[in-house]
Amino acid sequence: MSVAHTEAGVADWDPNVFREGVYFDELYLKLRAECEELIGMYEDSRSALIPMAHLFQEHEGFTSPNALAAIAHLLNLPLAVVESTISFYTLFYRKPVGKYMLQVCRNLSCIINGAEEIMAHFREQLGVGHLETTADGLFSYEEVECLAACDRAPCMQINLRFRYDLTPAMVDDMLAAMRGGTFPVKPLAQTQAPGRTWKVEQDTGRKSAGGVGVSDPNNAGGVGDRSGVIMLDRVVNDPAFAARSRERLVRESQLRPSSGDGGHH
Amino acid sequence: MASPVVEILTKGIGELNLRDIDVYRSTGGYVQLERAVKELGQKAVADECTGSNLRGRGGAGFPTGRKWSFLPNNGRPRYIVCNCDEAEPGTFKDHMLLEQTPHQIIEGILIAAYAIGCHHAFIYIRGEFQDGFEIMRDAARQAREAGIIGKGIFGSDYDLEFTIHRGAGAYICGEETGLLNSLEGKRGEPRLKPPFPAIKGLYGEPTVVNNVETLAYLPHILKHGAAWFASVGPERSPGYKVVSISGHVKKPGNYEVPLGITIRQLIDECAGGLRDGRTFLGVQPGGGSSACLFEEHLDLSYDFDTIAKAGSMLGSGAMVVFDDTTDFVKASFALIRFYAHESCGQCTPCREGGSWIEKTLARIIDGRGVPSDIDVMKSACHQITGLNLCALGDSIEPFLGSVLDRFEGQFRAYIERATPVPERVAV
Amino acid sequence: MSATVPATDLVTVTIDGIDLQVPKGTLVVEAAKLIHRDIPVYCYHPKLGPAGLCRICLVEIDGMPKLQIGCNTPVADKMVVRTLSDKANEGRRAVLELLLLNHPLDCPICDKGGECDLQDFAMAYGQGASRMIDAKSSKPKAVDLGPTIVLDEERCILCLRCVRFDDLITHERSLRTDDRGAHAIIATATGHPYVSDFTGNVTELCPVGALTSKTYRFRSRPWDNHRTTTTCMQCSVGCQMHVDGRVQQIARTMSVEEDDAISDGWLCDRGRYNIGYVTDDGRLTSPLYQQNGEWIQIGWDDAIELWANAVRDAIAADGAASVGAIGGGRLLNEEAFLLQHVYRALGVENLDWRAGRMVRAWPGPLPIRGHHAELAAADVVITYGVPPAQTAPVLDLRVRKAVANGATLISIGDHLASAVLPCVRVATFADAVKRIPSGAKHVAIVWDGIEVADAHAIAAWAGALDHATTTFRLYVPGEQPNAFGAEAVGMLPRDGGLDTRGMFEAARDGKLRALALLGVNPVLHFPDRDLAIAALRATPFVVVSELFMTETAELATLILPACSAFEKTGTTTDLAGDVLPVSAAVPSPESTLADGDMLVALADLLGIALPAPAALDATIRELAAATPQNPPLPAPDGAPRAIASGETLRVIVEASIFSGGGTLAHDDRLGELRLTPRARMHPASAAAFELEEGDAIDLAGPERVRLDGLTVAFDTHVPEGAVAIVAGVPAAPANALRGAVAVTIAAKRRAAEAGVLA
Repeated sequence: MSVAHTEAGVADWDPNVFREGVYFDELYLKLRAECEELIGMYEDSRSALIPMAHLFQEHEGFTSPNALAAIAHLLNLPLAVVESTISFYTLFYRKPVGKYMLQVCRNLSCIINGAEEIMAHFREQLGVGHLETTADGLFSYEEVECLAACDRAPCMQINLRFRYDLTPAMVDDMLAAMRGGTFPVKPLAQTQAPGRTWKVEQDTGRKSAGGVGVSDPNNAGGVGDRSGVIMLDRVVNDPAFAARSRERLVRESQLRPSSGDGGHH
Repeated sequence: MASPVVEILTKGIGELNLRDIDVYRSTGGYVQLERAVKELGQKAVADECTGSNLRGRGGAGFPTGRKWSFLPNNGRPRYIVCNCDEAEPGTFKDHMLLEQTPHQIIEGILIAAYAIGCHHAFIYIRGEFQDGFEIMRDAARQAREAGIIGKGIFGSDYDLEFTIHRGAGAYICGEETGLLNSLEGKRGEPRLKPPFPAIKGLYGEPTVVNNVETLAYLPHILKHGAAWFASVGPERSPGYKVVSISGHVKKPGNYEVPLGITIRQLIDECAGGLRDGRTFLGVQPGGGSSACLFEEHLDLSYDFDTIAKAGSMLGSGAMVVFDDTTDFVKASFALIRFYAHESCGQCTPCREGGSWIEKTLARIIDGRGVPSDIDVMKSACHQITGLNLCALGDSIEPFLGSVLDRFEGQFRAYIERATPVPERVAV
Repeated sequence: MSATVPATDLVTVTIDGIDLQVPKGTLVVEAAKLIHRDIPVYCYHPKLGPAGLCRICLVEIDGMPKLQIGCNTPVADKMVVRTLSDKANEGRRAVLELLLLNHPLDCPICDKGGECDLQDFAMAYGQGASRMIDAKSSKPKAVDLGPTIVLDEERCILCLRCVRFDDLITHERSLRTDDRGAHAIIATATGHPYVSDFTGNVTELCPVGALTSKTYRFRSRPWDNHRTTTTCMQCSVGCQMHVDGRVQQIARTMSVEEDDAISDGWLCDRGRYNIGYVTDDGRLTSPLYQQNGEWIQIGWDDAIELWANAVRDAIAADGAASVGAIGGGRLLNEEAFLLQHVYRALGVENLDWRAGRMVRAWPGPLPIRGHHAELAAADVVITYGVPPAQTAPVLDLRVRKAVANGATLISIGDHLASAVLPCVRVATFADAVKRIPSGAKHVAIVWDGIEVADAHAIAAWAGALDHATTTFRLYVPGEQPNAFGAEAVGMLPRDGGLDTRGMFEAARDGKLRALALLGVNPVLHFPDRDLAIAALRATPFVVVSELFMTETAELATLILPACSAFEKTGTTTDLAGDVLPVSAAVPSPESTLADGDMLVALADLLGIALPAPAALDATIRELAAATPQNPPLPAPDGAPRAIASGETLRVIVEASIFSGGGTLAHDDRLGELRLTPRARMHPASAAAFELEEGDAIDLAGPERVRLDGLTVAFDTHVPEGAVAIVAGVPAAPANALRGAVAVTIAAKRRAAEAGVLA
């Protein structure tokens, strides 16, 4: 927030000078085409600002000064305007964050269903507090507002992917997986249907029941599943799968033995 | 007793892969949209919507058909934006609909777009719904390939473009003018009204903003007719609603029910009742901005007007149930902290008042409360109400005010346990 | 007020029991002003419009359950408004309590104390004590926002007037909000200071002491200030200005909010902040006479006698043609008139106000003089030459207003009209004319007055215009504040007299014996620096009236210490031809004299009769209003404009209100605003010459002219093949190139070696 003067002649500074060489290195040249596509989707180019910021952040891990300047240039906006907009939104990180962005809900339904215990556990295990990053750069931790998953409280997101029904043990397993370099698999103990879909005739033993005929989504391979829903959830949650076609995945799922190893992602 | 739960929007969720357009179509999906475009015509569709008395399902409960009728006939391009910025505490219905039945949402949006003569529809999805965004993107691609989005949909001469737009973490972007500002690439700060979006909305043009659930009902209203919807539940607040129930219940989840059943039915028959051995203290009937209701309200009809008359609101249809394990001081703090965090900061009362009350509650919970805090909070949250630029500021008082009243004892207990001399606390 | 509004457009509204009729659409806050009921406001400002943020203007309106904000509510017929009801009072009390919750108790050390809207409204409507026992929120204090402004984030009430000013008025959009909610603050783009020609205006707009001027920090209290209203004399716009003096020194200047006609209520930073020179140590305080290479102090009687003798002797020896006087553009109308009156009485016709690049303050007999406010209503604005953004910033705000209202902005040639507004760029005037949209009814041209060919082109086009369908207005911001006035009262050579260049050439050739320079610095500004220096060196008697020892003064025979514009009373004429009052705000230092008084003394010694003050006043007003009787413009010389070749760069000479010569050079508090010498180039041109930003280069032109020590800066607005330099920068005066239109790069040094930071 404190503003430093540029070194050579404050009065000479010209906000409209675009320094091509600084900002458009290879990454930016590559992203420029995508940016232009985004701009083309709207009647007013400024609408592409937030989608473009997401794009840059996905590649660099945060909204870097270079990204802001590139956006300002591409949209022909003053840098101050771009910065003002970006600074409004909590999902744009102004500084580099950890490899895993851990965001735990701290809002009403989660609080009355044990979120405080989970948050305390995270802070203890990570050794950092709210809005802090571990020294090894692996984890950033934030306590966030309602994630719209209140029936599966306490809940969280890791790099914007949901993890529900948290317990301290699950937290430990996930942290271990991430420290080991893998994105945490949904623990098998976690309850079922990815959507919150409820049939009335349910088995009240489990915390949240799934629909009739839907197998446990965490059952590896989903063999025997007739709907393909399970595999698609994995598709959504794992970028490695995203590129493959639905047909191929269903075919693969039918070929894979039921090894119970939790799948691979 | 027969369960009140129905399956209209939620039909097939969990059983069928409704993300696949072929599966969706096999259940009758996109038939109504095609019928609208090829047979019914714009006016008939709009009339069906008006005749159904469908009220907005996102929180404000404004009659949808009436909202559409405010669009002026001035030859300007019109826009419709589907509000999928679900972030009201306790609400998770749109999250489910988005991930599980994206095509139903698309169909609803496009029906509405067609009805109002809009050729470019948008959906604004909150940034946290990364999965939902990818699912919707895939669904839209399928629809485009099937000729349902784009130039000349269904082979007609009606062009309809559809853009998926992501937010980036701001509850206030669920407010319609905050959403429009965000969609325009600006800070998501609400605008002064008037002018209303129907007159000057997206890019200054006539615009309608509707909630996901509201739009998702349109194909069904077209299929079964306006009367089918209007005849369910109370006359002024008819139809079906997906209610998100969470908190201290056995089976939290989304339950689609007819409006007009009682709160008790929702808690007991849908959500499996309270957890064993617990007693009921209160329920927030309509999301974080609604006042808490109590034992005496359990048999009230769950509809917009009855709940409003009881001093609360139906809002987004998000119910949070509180049993006797609830610490209402912490529960209030969670909500007040939420509003303070999500305040856009434009107007004085919400920005300063929310922060003031947040500091006070934090200090009380921290063990440094003083007796005067109770009356100060009551007065402070009351004085904020009615002075704000948008409804967020008005959302600070309802829950806190209602529990300060009913459960003042819990607050007093914190204060009595407090260290006698309050210190200055940095927040 | 309803005289010109049709009755059907009036509505009746009752405010606090008083009925009044106002035009439909009038905002409640504006209607209330008519009955002197000033509803308190913060974020609302008449020039910025409503924002609905502060909520202090809440009023009760019958029929509406909630309090409404008066700033965004237009009156409806039969509306009943209560601004002082219990409910309205309670609403205001609540808003004030909330504003004061985190507001720091800085009043004793806050510059705004005594003129602060928060203090005033808290006294009037607030409750007196805070109910918050928690610590007030902490935010950055005394943020160094830029060269001129200090920002205190804790005091800020987030009314956003400053941000909206920078958006809606200047269109520069360098002020912004950061973060949101209770953490929101005002900021600029990270790492970029708040630099603009208009920064000072935000200190007046800010209702509290969040934005304050560095030059006024801790200097005074409003009740200690003695206020004089005058006309700014830093450029030809003629902004009305309040000068606040404290104990006979100028503490600060402020805009005149009601000055809709000229400044629109704004001031540029040059006019507002360049006041330190008045008390600078460098001010000349007694007449100085050159003797054997040394300056000796002499008394005024002796000085005037020397001057009178020199002139009389010169005329006796070589006739009136051997005497000349240059000046007037920085003098008051009365002084410029006296200058030409005294010299013409002696038969001298070598008279000229022009010491720079301009050929005319007013190009000819065309009755098309534009007024400031009219410019904002133009459909098309064409800038021809150095744009008003560089020479007359407050006039450029009118251009920005016009463009914001849909006007087309066209800039011709090398000079881009605006860095913040969309504009059409064309090569020639003929091209510009073609781009005037059909149906445009009001065309405005802002011309820099420099190239004769331009004037002819404009005159030819205007002559052919159908004035019945199209209004045409011309604006010529002068190089000197009273250029128009000096020209109107006759400071141009008639009847075969020599103009400035003619005088310098004559001087260089030994034909001039006595030259007077009043308020001009040709060594820094005249296009041919070498000629000016040679001329002054060759003239036996050069008398210079100045405030400081300038480059020109150093070559004088006799220096007369003059009063600044803040120390004398009279009139000046703005670019629209208005005769505006200049009133002394502070006494001048002992032993300085106003130029007018010097000329009166000279006339006395020479036995020349002067007109009586009343007659003089009438004459000046007549002359300002009349179509100028000056000699017609010369024909264009037909010299082709330079074309850059592979080896050479075309020279573009620009202007800036902060070039730093004259009074600005002697204002230490504004050191950061003064320009450092730069050569701006398009990155592609720089690459062609293998130059990087921050390199230092020396330019060379024909006849061995040099301009050394310019720092390369990239600017995509500069056309390729050209280098842009700013005139009048003392460390690297552009006139050293003697008007060369193409230069080569004689030498270049990398930034590291040159010791220059990029």
